[in-house]
Amino acid sequence: MDLLAYDLSAFVSENWRELLDGLVNTLKVSAIAIAGSFVIGLTLGAARAHRIPVVSQLTAVYVEVIRNTPILVQIFMLFFALPQAGIRLNAFTTAWVAVTLWGGAFNSENFRAGFEAVPKRYREAGLALGFGRLGTFLNVTLPIGGRISLPSSINTYISVVKNTSLMYVIGYAELTTTAVNIAALSLETLEALTVLGIVYLALVWSLSAAIRVVESRLALPEER
Amino acid sequence: MPEWVEPVVRYILTEGLPATLRVSAIAVVGSAVIGVILGTLLTIEFLPLRALIRLYVEVFRGLPILVTVFMVYFGLPALNSALEYGPLTATSIALILWGSAQVAEATRGAVQSIPAEQHEAAAALGFGWLGRHRSVILPQAYRRLLPPGVSLLVNIIQNSTLAAVIGGIELLQAGKSQTERLTFFPPAGIGEIHAFEIFAFVAVIFFLISFPLTRLAAYLEKRLV
Repeated sequence: MDLLAYDLSAFVSENWRELLDGLVNTLKVSAIAIAGSFVIGLTLGAARAHRIPVVSQLTAVYVEVIRNTPILVQIFMLFFALPQAGIRLNAFTTAWVAVTLWGGAFNSENFRAGFEAVPKRYREAGLALGFGRLGTFLNVTLPIGGRISLPSSINTYISVVKNTSLMYVIGYAELTTTAVNIAALSLETLEALTVLGIVYLALVWSLSAAIRVVESRLALPEER
Repeated sequence: MPEWVEPVVRYILTEGLPATLRVSAIAVVGSAVIGVILGTLLTIEFLPLRALIRLYVEVFRGLPILVTVFMVYFGLPALNSALEYGPLTATSIALILWGSAQVAEATRGAVQSIPAEQHEAAAALGFGWLGRHRSVILPQAYRRLLPPGVSLLVNIIQNSTLAAVIGGIELLQAGKSQTERLTFFPPAGIGEIHAFEIFAFVAVIFFLISFPLTRLAAYLEKRLV
């Protein structure tokens, strides 16, 4: 391995098609997982904050299991252990299911905390105005609590994007797998790692910048 | 219990578990020491130094840890053959890079939350910058760092499984290699697939370690803030 042979532009111009496909797969899995963990987080977080029987307890178990085991072990369970029970998921399905389950668990905690932070008297005011329980949730708890949970849930989405890189272990051709596999053949290790570093940092940094804008737009009036 | 269980459990507990604990311990201590120093330096006014540390923090918090692991394990030896590490050491180094960035950010917040009067009082008593931080500011900041510190410990223990990706034998890789061994024909294996039982066992070990710690972090958060 010769440092003098380092040639980033040659690496990119030779492999940009594959790298772009990898990036698209990363974004595809991330988008599905972000949407999925938003829905899971919102519903299960609301169920927990309102102490809905059974759903609330089952959510607690789901959250604790996901939070207290490594996501890599979860991916192994889905991809290597489930086939033993006759359930075979392909790499793409495993990829989005794994990060969605992971993000959903963390996100339901984010939303629960947000909803629980809404002062009780707001909800009582909603009920007194004649909204039903669902109406109070949709018109009072959700707009206020949802904004309170926004920063932490967006951090979860950023982690979801980063965690798609773990799909390397099941050979799903997202960005990390693609770049590392190219490097394994061409020995252009440093070039591949440079590309990975630049693309992931660009993704994560622009997401966090976008977040700050959204956050300030949606901030509750007293926090502006 | 079937005959295959005992050697599998023994291998995971005697080969995998100690490696996971060792990698995690090194990573936590390294992250804490480097992170507290960098985080304290982040609060001083000297701009070039602050910009440099800020870049370090943002880079290693922004990268997926797996990419950092690849950088240490594949990238460093490509730069200089003296920087070649085994999978477990490489994972420890990557976790320290990531963990210290997390600790630095938390420390900066904790140090800045200490009122300015504390700095002034310490300065008036004749403490220099170093003595002021070591004897007055940081002991107060530690209280605020404890809950995120415990959460970091949980994250580091779980992320130590990344060593499995580059072949380091820790809990997950120990489970994986035993799963593969059992699928071989005798005498090495028994020609059966027991992936589900073995990975579930690995998951249970992680749960038993992590669950008390996440409870502790939640408890500390409530008590100390």
